[in-house]
Amino acid sequence: MSSGGTNGASQASKKNSKKPKYSRFTQQDLPACKPILTPGWVITAFLSIGLVFIPIGLASLFASEHVVEIVDRYDEDCIPSNSASERLTYIQSTETNKTCIRNLIVPKKMKQPIYVYYQLDNFYQNHRRYVKSRSDLQLRSKEYERDTKTCEPERAHENEPIVPCGLVAWSLFNDTYGFSLNNKILQVNKKDIAWKSDKEHKFGSEVYPKNFQKGPLIGGGKLNESQPLSEQEDLIVWMRTAALPTFRKLYGKIEDDLEANEKITVVIQNNYNTYSFGGNKNLVLSTTSWIGGKNDFLGKAYIAVGGFCLFIVIGFILMYVIKPRPLGDPAFLSWNQNPDGHLN
Amino acid sequence: MNQIIINLETPEIKVLEKVGEKDAIAKASKESVFRQISEGKAQFTASSSKAFALIIDGKSLQYALDDDMKKLFLELALGCASVICCRSSPKQKALVTRLVKAGTRKTTLAIGDGANDVGMLQEADIGIGISGVEGMQAVMSSDIAIAQFRFLDRLLLVHGHWCYRRISSMICYFFYKNMTFGFTVFLYEAHTSFSAKPAYNDWFLSLYNVVFTSLPVIALGIFDQDVSARFCLKFPLLYQEGVQNVLFSWRRIIGWMFNGLCSAIIIFFLCTNALDPQAFNKDGKIAEFQILGATMYTCLLWVVNCQMALAVGYLNVVQHICIWGGIGFWYLFLLAYGAMPPKISTTAYKVFVEGLALAPSFWVVTFFVVISALIPYFLYNAIQRRFFPTYHGMLQWIGHEGLSDDPKYCKMLNQRSIRSITVGFTALSLGKNQRWES
Repeated sequence: MSSGGTNGASQASKKNSKKPKYSRFTQQDLPACKPILTPGWVITAFLSIGLVFIPIGLASLFASEHVVEIVDRYDEDCIPSNSASERLTYIQSTETNKTCIRNLIVPKKMKQPIYVYYQLDNFYQNHRRYVKSRSDLQLRSKEYERDTKTCEPERAHENEPIVPCGLVAWSLFNDTYGFSLNNKILQVNKKDIAWKSDKEHKFGSEVYPKNFQKGPLIGGGKLNESQPLSEQEDLIVWMRTAALPTFRKLYGKIEDDLEANEKITVVIQNNYNTYSFGGNKNLVLSTTSWIGGKNDFLGKAYIAVGGFCLFIVIGFILMYVIKPRPLGDPAFLSWNQNPDGHLN
Repeated sequence: MNQIIINLETPEIKVLEKVGEKDAIAKASKESVFRQISEGKAQFTASSSKAFALIIDGKSLQYALDDDMKKLFLELALGCASVICCRSSPKQKALVTRLVKAGTRKTTLAIGDGANDVGMLQEADIGIGISGVEGMQAVMSSDIAIAQFRFLDRLLLVHGHWCYRRISSMICYFFYKNMTFGFTVFLYEAHTSFSAKPAYNDWFLSLYNVVFTSLPVIALGIFDQDVSARFCLKFPLLYQEGVQNVLFSWRRIIGWMFNGLCSAIIIFFLCTNALDPQAFNKDGKIAEFQILGATMYTCLLWVVNCQMALAVGYLNVVQHICIWGGIGFWYLFLLAYGAMPPKISTTAYKVFVEGLALAPSFWVVTFFVVISALIPYFLYNAIQRRFFPTYHGMLQWIGHEGLSDDPKYCKMLNQRSIRSITVGFTALSLGKNQRWES
């Protein structure tokens, strides 16, 4: 009886209590990790960064050192005169002979495949108006042939739409390079130089060039009207706009090995006009490694940052040894440092 | 504690009240109150090291709150450690609050539990209503409701401090992440001859603040705790960080923005120099706009999220999910968006699957850029904790080292201001200690 009575009383008091049920989430008591930056952690962190970065840097630098690269600027030497106006007439005329012969010496053995690029300088392929001036719908399928609204000013010629329209296609690079070694021609493989996704999904196999470069101003190369766009790899490579004003684009691959000190003769058709805006043209031959082309920057940067971290480790160790100070010293309390008034 | 009592229970006033002339009573009362206030003030200015308590009743308050006397009254009241207004009407409560608010231009807090406190609660900047015996009127007109008076110290010391820290951290971090983002876009613009071409795909730009970096900030604003609740209560001096606006000073804001600037510069220059103009993968392909944009954006998201993880000292399950989940979501988004037809995904079509994932240089560059961008902050943090530790930093260290029960450290950290003060919590507790000691 009495136990029932006390049970009843306690139940009544439980019913009266309005205390909410405890839960870790609502009481903000969730388990958490609270890392604190002790001297040990600082040294460990910087030491591990240093010890990881330096080997990666060395590996990258090693890979980059193994890449052999030949860069040859030819736009200055391949034009006969020095005066600006004469240059323009030369490059814009269709009558002049634009052949130019260059000789390249191979510095080290280059294993195939050797990639051939053309590098342009001071060419803002990333300018907003330029990048906008294309029609992706038109490039992909024939039924959107008339979708040229975004392609101003290269939209139509004599009321017929231009395919492919827009400034990007209009300014197609059209220098050509022919390589020979000891009077034997080196074949340049121009297949598979574009990204597969571009060839298959962005450029239609039913779309053929039409009305291209027929206007008064010729901006670049002409296109073969019997080849569908998905097979025009030079155009596809060109239309994948570059990020920065100095860029390279893949021209082709040489699938023979080149020995050191061999002399390669390049026959260049210097068609493309970079003279009116002060651009440079370079021809680049390069091998690749697992990390890509020749770029010492990544390796050197890794080593620099790794070295900096190790230097900091030494600095911190010296500081902790020379001036050990318990971290809880209240003399450093900000309002105690300025006893007269408030702190900052 | 010395007491200054102001009342109208003097014999002269009583005599006048018996007579009944209203004007005479008022005049005499006013003079009496004025005299008592002035005497009190004289007492108080004479000995500035003792703590005083002011006790005034409702009748005297009526005269003390007159326009010509209220400034004097306020000065006296502010100089005392404790002020008790007894038997005051609701209107007087509100008027006193208004007087303090206008006179000091500080944030005032009022707490009450009955219907007579409603005016005061609404007048104060923060009104706290206690729900309970006297009904719910106070609760309904308050900003915050608590159940018992004793919860006030937890409300202020724990939740007040946490709220302050959360809001200031959140705002500083928000400035930081947008500064980083905006400045990378700006640096890229400089390379497009300022033609307003953004470095990233349109949807990347739009979804940056909405999807990719929103959840960690929200988690920071809700869950962050620099010092545990127990320590907040044990070391009430931590509350001064909020009072003195230590965590949201201009120096801190500009420091975070500068951090954003540095991160942006590091991200941009390391990405562009490492990936351009030579080939970036084994097949001789070049890193043009799409590849570079996606790489920079990936680095940006990593840096911004890892910075959050570094800057807060408290990572619970929800924050882990938000931070690491956010980064993982970015990769999933890249895959999903890249799989959409080129009409929708334009420049991001298959960029991850075809270009980035298979190129070791992408991963190597991302790893490098993320760690390098975080090193400046990490270094700054390490040096600051060593040489210029903040109060909450010291408390965190004490908690970590388990010295919270060590009386020597506690006394050091609970040490009040070096200058002697006579008002506020400090004076009250000093007075309390003195009483215990004597």
